Amino acid sequence: MFILDFRIMKTYYLCLLTFLIVGCGADDDFELPEGTGGANKNPVPNTDLQAVLGTYYQNPEDIITFENDQIFEAYVVSSDEAGNFYKELVIQDKAEDPLAGIVIKLNMASYFQFFNFGRKLIINAKGLSIGEMNGVATLGVQNGKRIENIPAPVIGDHLFRTSEVAEIVPLSLEALQFTDRYENLYVQLSDVQFSEFLVNPEDPFTYASEDTDEFDGERRVESCKGDFPFILSTSTYADFKGFKLPSGNGSLKGILTRDFYDEFYTIYLNSPADIDFSINERCKQDHLDCGLSEEEGSKVLFWEDFSSQTNNKPIKGNGWKLIVEEGSKEWEAFTASGGNASLGKSARMRPAGSGDRKTQSWLITPSINFDSNSGEVLSFKTSTSFANGSMLEVLISTDWDGSEENFGLATWKILSSAYIAQNSDFFGDWISSGNIDLSCVEGKGYIGFKYTGSDSPYYNGIYELDDIVLTAN
Amino acid sequence: MALKINCGGRLLILLSFYSLSLCSQNFSVRGRAIDERTNLPISGVAVSPEGTSILVLSDSDGAFVLNEIPEGEHILEFTKNSFFSKRLPVLVQAELDIGNVYLEPDLVSVQQQTAIINLSDHDLDEESGGFSNISGLLQSSRDVFLNAAAFDFSSSFFRPRGYDSEYSEVMINGISMNKFFSGRPLWSNWGGLNDVQRNQEFSNGLTPSEVSFGKLAGTTNIIMRASQNSPGGKVSIAVANRSYTGRLMGSYHTGLNAKGWAFSFSAARRFAEESYVQGSTYESNSFFASVEKRLNPDHSLNFTGFFTPVKRGKSSPNTREVFDLKGNKYNSYWGYQNGEIRNSRIQRVEEPVLMLNHYWNISPGTNLNTGISYQFGRVGNSRIDYGGSRLFFNSQGEDIFIGGGTNPDPAYYQKLPSYFLRSEDRLDYRSAYLAQQDFLKNGQLNWEELYAANLNQAQNGGNSLYVLYEDINDDQLVSFNTLLRKELNARWVLNSGLNFRSLKSENFAQVESLLGGTAFLDVDSFSEGSKAQNDLLNPNRLVGEGDKFKYHYDLLAKDLGSFVQFQYFGKKWEFYTAVEGSYLIYQRNGFYQNGNFPDTSLGKSEEPDFLSYSLKGGLNYKLSGRHIFSANLGYFRKPPTLRNSFSNARQNNKVVKDLTQEKIEIADLGYVYRSPKLKGRITAFYAEFKDVTELSFYFADGLSGSGRDSTTAFVQEVMTGIEKRHIGIEFGWEFQVTTTLKVKTAGSFGEYVYNRNPSIYLTSDDFTEDREMGRASLKNYRVPGGPQHVAQIGLEYRDPEYWWIGVSGNYFSHAFLDIAPLLRTSNFLTDNDGLPINDYDLETAKRLLKQEKFDDYFLVNMVGGKSWRIKDKYLGFFASINNLLEVSYITGGYEQSRNVNYSLLKEDKERDHPLFGNKYWFGPGTTYYAHVYFRF
Repeated sequence: MFILDFRIMKTYYLCLLTFLIVGCGADDDFELPEGTGGANKNPVPNTDLQAVLGTYYQNPEDIITFENDQIFEAYVVSSDEAGNFYKELVIQDKAEDPLAGIVIKLNMASYFQFFNFGRKLIINAKGLSIGEMNGVATLGVQNGKRIENIPAPVIGDHLFRTSEVAEIVPLSLEALQFTDRYENLYVQLSDVQFSEFLVNPEDPFTYASEDTDEFDGERRVESCKGDFPFILSTSTYADFKGFKLPSGNGSLKGILTRDFYDEFYTIYLNSPADIDFSINERCKQDHLDCGLSEEEGSKVLFWEDFSSQTNNKPIKGNGWKLIVEEGSKEWEAFTASGGNASLGKSARMRPAGSGDRKTQSWLITPSINFDSNSGEVLSFKTSTSFANGSMLEVLISTDWDGSEENFGLATWKILSSAYIAQNSDFFGDWISSGNIDLSCVEGKGYIGFKYTGSDSPYYNGIYELDDIVLTAN
Repeated sequence: MALKINCGGRLLILLSFYSLSLCSQNFSVRGRAIDERTNLPISGVAVSPEGTSILVLSDSDGAFVLNEIPEGEHILEFTKNSFFSKRLPVLVQAELDIGNVYLEPDLVSVQQQTAIINLSDHDLDEESGGFSNISGLLQSSRDVFLNAAAFDFSSSFFRPRGYDSEYSEVMINGISMNKFFSGRPLWSNWGGLNDVQRNQEFSNGLTPSEVSFGKLAGTTNIIMRASQNSPGGKVSIAVANRSYTGRLMGSYHTGLNAKGWAFSFSAARRFAEESYVQGSTYESNSFFASVEKRLNPDHSLNFTGFFTPVKRGKSSPNTREVFDLKGNKYNSYWGYQNGEIRNSRIQRVEEPVLMLNHYWNISPGTNLNTGISYQFGRVGNSRIDYGGSRLFFNSQGEDIFIGGGTNPDPAYYQKLPSYFLRSEDRLDYRSAYLAQQDFLKNGQLNWEELYAANLNQAQNGGNSLYVLYEDINDDQLVSFNTLLRKELNARWVLNSGLNFRSLKSENFAQVESLLGGTAFLDVDSFSEGSKAQNDLLNPNRLVGEGDKFKYHYDLLAKDLGSFVQFQYFGKKWEFYTAVEGSYLIYQRNGFYQNGNFPDTSLGKSEEPDFLSYSLKGGLNYKLSGRHIFSANLGYFRKPPTLRNSFSNARQNNKVVKDLTQEKIEIADLGYVYRSPKLKGRITAFYAEFKDVTELSFYFADGLSGSGRDSTTAFVQEVMTGIEKRHIGIEFGWEFQVTTTLKVKTAGSFGEYVYNRNPSIYLTSDDFTEDREMGRASLKNYRVPGGPQHVAQIGLEYRDPEYWWIGVSGNYFSHAFLDIAPLLRTSNFLTDNDGLPINDYDLETAKRLLKQEKFDDYFLVNMVGGKSWRIKDKYLGFFASINNLLEVSYITGGYEQSRNVNYSLLKEDKERDHPLFGNKYWFGPGTTYYAHVYFRF
């Protein structure tokens, strides 16, 4: 009986075991999905990014919607992995020596997971619109007068990944070359450093988490080679916003673009790894600073109001020297009235129309003897008109012999307590430098007004100068 | 008034209002229980002379002997699961052999038994609601109301008397199976073993159980003892479209052989590629074995072991917006991978149980049953983490975590049409339309994208952005239990027990799949600096598949308890009283030093402990054979569950402040009527719960108290001092129209409300202090979870040719949304600067905070079966169809605690489709279940 029972059970359990084993076999260990990252069925390009961008440049104010296939290749050069870009993907036409770049607005956070840096894409702009947003060419969907994000469900209809991830060679650029045609490109600037006050070892600035930072932290980067300073912008949402700015100098890579209000050129980093300031020694521009003086002296050592000059002619007489270090423009006299009036006759520098790649032009006083006087005080007035990226500095040299041949050998120190009109000052105002104390200067010295700019739109600002007075006790 | 009379050397305790023919002669009554249909003996039939404490079980030959039966007339009551009860009058004047007693199998009960657990164990274990409380109802077919509750009300998350399943107890062979963590039994632990769960003892409500003091919602003891299963085998095949689509089940029992051995085996496989809800995969294998050795007539040793690994894909609660677009089968948790359904939220339960029981008949009427059990194994719940990052550090030694994926949930609010229409002044119809079309067309998890992203990262030296991981509890539970049952005399029974349970529960997260990536960085990428470290002892650790990460700690619990119960059985009166005492102690032991809680996360916590007691008592008064009145009264002190004792166990050792025991006062009054034609009962019940503690976790937006910049946080909400009042009536009646046709009705009308305003405090790793939120104005809000009003009317036809069919109409109403308490605190009207919100309007606030009452609905269910006899074997068929009219309804839902102040909530509710609308579980449409079985 007992044995019989087991015999019945045996057959039955064999049965049961079979289905259990078969069943267990169908376990869910998932294989990798097939066909990921493949370049299957990508559309064939019929144009290039330069041509697409050309459409934009024909009418930069308008928004143009592509009604036909506009298929082109491009490389991803921005990354939102560290949070410095958000729903803005920057692409350029080539991995090296790019000619065109554009921003694509898309409703996709963490796009780096698919559209990673260097990824070659095929893009079909059909149905998308191109126009200017925040000062740069932007591709997206039109909503009224705005280009907005490509909705997530249709991104796959426009952006196609290829299997190629290229090594992007950054375009080496100097700040003075910043123009619209380099916007949205991955560029590199060399021999640069953050301005000294940003990297004070006592209290260095962060990329973007100072109390005053709203939306973006804007940090001034200056050149060790006399190139223009520029602004590095970092989103206050960037993961590295709290990193301290590195103090050394070196090179920096990022996307050249415009600030949000389209007021200046700026660079956004993909990650702080794109800054290589490994040279610890900062490059130094010498300064001279004896502070400000309460009042001017009673004895006038040098005085100029330019009233004896000829309009639109280079400044001359009264011991003035004009040195054109780069470019072709010299300081000239002018008269203007109205909202942006001169002070009678005044001096100015404006490189516009010069064709200069770079303009560096000096207006230098005659030699002043600081030993035979005491309590020397300098004052002057400046005004700007659309200074933008151009610069005016006032410097002093006590080792120049006054000859043009030896100009390059002289040491020039910035008079850092002098106030010079800024781009942000109202263009109609003439602003006093303050009473610059020069009592600490020894020997004989020249005082020079150095303009730096170029003929390109952002750097061809005008600086105006007048009422220069040097007194002593 | 007690009177002691020494009679025949035995001490009797009597109450003077009852006269018993004392000192008369006693005789034995013997007989044999036989299945009327098969002529085979039935084991385990409970035989008891009515109005006495005497109870014996028939042995494997169906034989029983009742000793010490006083001379005179008696009614012997025969009860056995799956058979109709029988009452047999006997006249005892001498030693009596009543020969064969034939019991009629209850086909309906037999057939439903096989089906029921499968209908509901999926719902039973749904961790989100704790809706279920059908424990014990499985064996309840004798009570019309409980029968309706088990078979027709349960799919609507109806809970009898509104009690959560943590107030009911499930025991196997006298050993409690409720979990320390939730207080609830985990039905998956024995799912699929229907064939060996047929022997059950169920005590409804406070009524006395033979194996435990019991819990207030009832106690079930499942007897899985090899000798208790009738010899023979059974195989069955089921098809369904509910929690699974197919089931194969088989069992074989030897019965007790001549050498005193009994063996019992059962196995089952249940499976679904997808059941009613999309993507709800199901895979379960069940194994059971039991061996019993009868050492001698007084000692038996039984070993029972079972293992029922189950893996099931969960389904998502959905907002109204999602339901409108995708319907009631939609589930956002899954997507196709290589053409196969893959669900991201799999619950895996693999917790085998081994137990050894010793049954000792010390003397006639005195038994000592002792058991020891060991349960071990794992419960895992998987999900996707999308916050993968990599470590970046600069030359100054500063580091950050960069990366992070995007929420892959296809129903994430930012992907739904409503998101693009969220601001009145910038309605983005195009994106809304595209989002809608995309959601309609795709709307499932995109596994390929997750792999593509991770592969891409891997190729560029990064870590996985997405990782599939499991939250795991590895439990080891040792239980010991000894139970004494002693018939003190023909009237009095003493039950007493001692039990001890010890749990070590190891909790951790474990990487299940890197989804194509190479490693995952174990940090909380939403935090910065050292706070981001999940374990400061191993900072910036890269983990791979199978590695523990995120959190790791043990929870320890020990419980020692004892109870004593007296039951009195008389001709007119029956009563009982019981008392229980227990000592419980908890501890957490952290293995990770969490960056947010460096001082409170590592090592051992303090040990909250609870000394508690409970009392209960009740009586039945039999006015006549037809009218019985009953009353039960209880006072319970219930320690908080392990889950509600540590405010943030994943991150630190903190014990909930002022942790205290629940106090429950409970009472019911019943009336039972029994006549050959009509029988039924009506019961009024009342319970008051005090000092209840509840913990919940969510992401809150709009918190006041820490300034303008930190109004959002992931918080743990600790609610203490909750009071609830459950009051209502329940009834069940059946009327035998003819011998074959029965009309039945059942229903319950309750009012379960919060009775007081509890206190709330929040903890979070986003702020350091425990943030007191004051009291939440919950008073008079309804307790959520299932309809508070239900009613049924049904017809049942049982043909003498062994087939039957039933139909019922079921009405459900007064089901309420689970409200978010934080919205009912002063935070709701406080701006983030701590001042009152400016444009606060009381009427609007009332409207916003009104508790949603779900619509009433009416479901028609059909059920039927047939059984054929083929020689001495049986072939049976059973089928049920639920919601025949395909009615659409909501079974439950909850308010999202996302917008926790007036301004935010108002803004969101004014949208056509709120971004953070209530989430609902939608009832299924028409579902079926059918099986055929063969018994041999």
